[in-house]
Amino acid sequence: MQVEESVVPGVSRRDFLKYCSWVAGMIGLGVGGTPRVASAIESIAKRPSVVYGSFQACTGCAIQLLQNREPGVANLILKTISLDYQDNVMAAAGDAAEEVWRQVTGQEGFFFVIEGSIPMGIPGAMTIHGRTAQEIILEAVPNAAGIIAYGSCAAYGNIQASNPNPTGAVGVQEFLAGELGADAPAVINLPRCPGHGDDIVVVLMSVLLTGKLPALDPKGRPLFLYGQTIHDSCFRRGHFEAGEFVEQFGDEHTKDDWCLYKVGCKGPYTYAPCGKALWNGNVSWCVHNAPCQGCAEQGFWDDLTPFYEQPRGGEFAWKVAPVETIGAVVGGATVLGLGAYAVAQNRRMKAAERSPSDAEPKRGGDV
Amino acid sequence: MPKVVIDPVTRIEGHLRVTCQVEDGKVVDAWNHALMFRGFEIFMKDRDPRDAWQFAQRICGVCPTPHAHASTLATEHAMGYQAVPDNARIVRNMFEATHVGYDHILWFYHLNAFDYVNVPDVLNATPSGPALQGVQDQVKRVVDSGQLGPFAGHWWDHPEYRLPPELNLELTAHYLEAIKIQQIANDAQAFIGGRFPMVMSYIPGGMQERLEIEEILYYRHQMTLVKEFVDTVMLQDLLAIAPFHLDLAEQGAGVGNYLSWGLFDVESQVPEDRVLPRGFITGGNVGNVQQADLDQVKLFTANSYYDDQAGAGQHPLEVDPTPQFTELPPLDGEQLPQGKYDWTKAARYGDQNLPMEVGPLADILVAYGAGRPAVVDLVNSTLEAVGAAGKPEVLLSNLGRIAARVLRQKVNVDFALQWADELLDNYSKGDETVYEWRDVPESGEGNGGWNAPRGALAHYMRIENGRIGRYAAVPPTNWNLSPRDDQGVRGPLEQALIGVPVVDTEKPLEILRTVHTFDP
Repeated sequence: MQVEESVVPGVSRRDFLKYCSWVAGMIGLGVGGTPRVASAIESIAKRPSVVYGSFQACTGCAIQLLQNREPGVANLILKTISLDYQDNVMAAAGDAAEEVWRQVTGQEGFFFVIEGSIPMGIPGAMTIHGRTAQEIILEAVPNAAGIIAYGSCAAYGNIQASNPNPTGAVGVQEFLAGELGADAPAVINLPRCPGHGDDIVVVLMSVLLTGKLPALDPKGRPLFLYGQTIHDSCFRRGHFEAGEFVEQFGDEHTKDDWCLYKVGCKGPYTYAPCGKALWNGNVSWCVHNAPCQGCAEQGFWDDLTPFYEQPRGGEFAWKVAPVETIGAVVGGATVLGLGAYAVAQNRRMKAAERSPSDAEPKRGGDV
Repeated sequence: MPKVVIDPVTRIEGHLRVTCQVEDGKVVDAWNHALMFRGFEIFMKDRDPRDAWQFAQRICGVCPTPHAHASTLATEHAMGYQAVPDNARIVRNMFEATHVGYDHILWFYHLNAFDYVNVPDVLNATPSGPALQGVQDQVKRVVDSGQLGPFAGHWWDHPEYRLPPELNLELTAHYLEAIKIQQIANDAQAFIGGRFPMVMSYIPGGMQERLEIEEILYYRHQMTLVKEFVDTVMLQDLLAIAPFHLDLAEQGAGVGNYLSWGLFDVESQVPEDRVLPRGFITGGNVGNVQQADLDQVKLFTANSYYDDQAGAGQHPLEVDPTPQFTELPPLDGEQLPQGKYDWTKAARYGDQNLPMEVGPLADILVAYGAGRPAVVDLVNSTLEAVGAAGKPEVLLSNLGRIAARVLRQKVNVDFALQWADELLDNYSKGDETVYEWRDVPESGEGNGGWNAPRGALAHYMRIENGRIGRYAAVPPTNWNLSPRDDQGVRGPLEQALIGVPVVDTEKPLEILRTVHTFDP
């Protein structure tokens, strides 16, 4: 049987449309947006160049990207994009790799995906080919069509930046703002620890489709992905509303999927699409087996720990006080739960009130 | 005498440089330089001890699960646990099985293969069927597009690429297939642990949740697929490549000392009883496996970027983790590394301060020396297949390091289903306990040893005032990629590089291969 090929060589028209429909859904166009996605992809003659720079990082984000299922890693690398530099998978090494870096970042129009933080306090804490992260990034940024800070390290400094931040680690946005001031280009933050590989694909598609950066929340996260809390999409939510809480790991109610708030779940304070797209080929997500640790939130290592206790301290302290006050006054577990929810909703409103940024990409025309 | 530097060493975790001095076509001296520091031992201080494993697994995003595991063991030791519920022991083995399942596949195909498999040469092959034709077409489209992506700029014209085009094509096809197989293993890990990397369900005292039946069955299903791939593809690929590279058995001998903390707990939860047992070997004497002790580890920092005022050879918990960066050795020119040149501390073992090689080769040799039947049979049959029957010493080499990683994967998939059966067996006897509560004590000290895919991994914790007072991790990198210690003794990779031939100093492929055999 002759299979009708799509514009993407080796991919059937049917698989291609399935993929377009998935992208349309993820970027908020709904199934009706499928033809628009298809025509946008079909109009790309040259695969968009993606340069993946890894800095002060653990490589977990890259490993997570290798778990991508839509369109699949092989399709992604060979057919959808041109992954022009990625040090975990590229064949070239040493001077040859450095030469590849100089070539690809010397041309305008690539998407710059960054994994890892930038050690400002000890620049020598991360070097490649004798150059610091700061030097490498500053040199490449002017030619980038878009900058994606992939994973919580690139977004906010993450674990390296946790108290007392021994290397003075910061995320990309903070670094560029400090170096370039008002001239700093926009950065799309895709936090979580590790970053979720699908986020990159979805955001790239969104940018290619619309020709501009997605609307971002005040923390630089795309609102269409990071507009909801974990709590909003949690399958344990009914038990939360009913005041049914697991009190200790392994107790009788862990089997009944009762709410994990009291054993440390930070879902009400965490904005992330985990519940929408799940992880690893959509098989699961953290709250299936454990409390959410809040890894999409800046400063979670300090402000949302201990991980296995109810949230307290730091930036999140103001949220905890009213919850406990209400709980103490009324004395009901459900009310305690509702208090946490109300607080989270309040925060969500605040995020939405601050108008989404609608920044133009620096060189949208190239894509 | 030419100095050859590879920076960055790609297809690894992290950032690495190697410097070699080459004379008459061979490496005569070598230095490795880990080029990143984050400060885990500093920012983990004063935390809740129960949170340690969540921090610790971020040390390595390629091998987070063994870090989570070793850190949890150290915390449990410090909190006074003697053992965890048997179900937790089994579930942890299941996590490790999925993790090894993915990790060795990732290394064999996606990190290591391009050192031997010539991708552009695929175009010269005559495909034996439509599937391989499809792969060849795919490579052709990429080459024709001029956008070579991950294949750009490499030394594909190097004379050391020896495989025939048809084998290059087949291995390229397996490279693509292996992307899916590592996902299959990780899906199982995510299904029972929430996600991967950075699983969620460990906790000092056991596991956070009892696995449901459907989770166990899903694990079984996925690991059956992984086992099928290992048996029918991965092992065959090793045997297909080996005949073209038998001279690798004469390269990369290294320090000859091998250390294993052990992998896969059995019911006793005694490290010496593990499927791959705890123990060490010195001087290449495989027949003499000695008992290994985590408190016999010392760290040296004379050549590392740390400000350790206490001086040479401290217990990991006594070493001052304060960084003291000086400068990088020059990339160019003739000047060789002097003074501090590495972010890695030098780990040494016992009174004699021995450098130890760790990793699958160490795991397999210790298990072989300890007479574990599953490993003995596997090693013997492999030696026979490569024409070295009765000569396990050929394994003390680059070839051995590559082969051992595949054999370790074979051991893993052969045991993987047993863990699921043991868990179901416990359930059927009415034992569903996965967690035992204990309060965090005011003070305590402990360690945990386990083998990550790249080698022996130890974590150490001291609890003070109910918080983490001191924390130390000694990952495989501290052993294999140790710099020279205070006595000037090279680390295992530095030693293994000595004598490696370099045909073309502009394209030091043989050095890159040797580095990759350690899975750095």
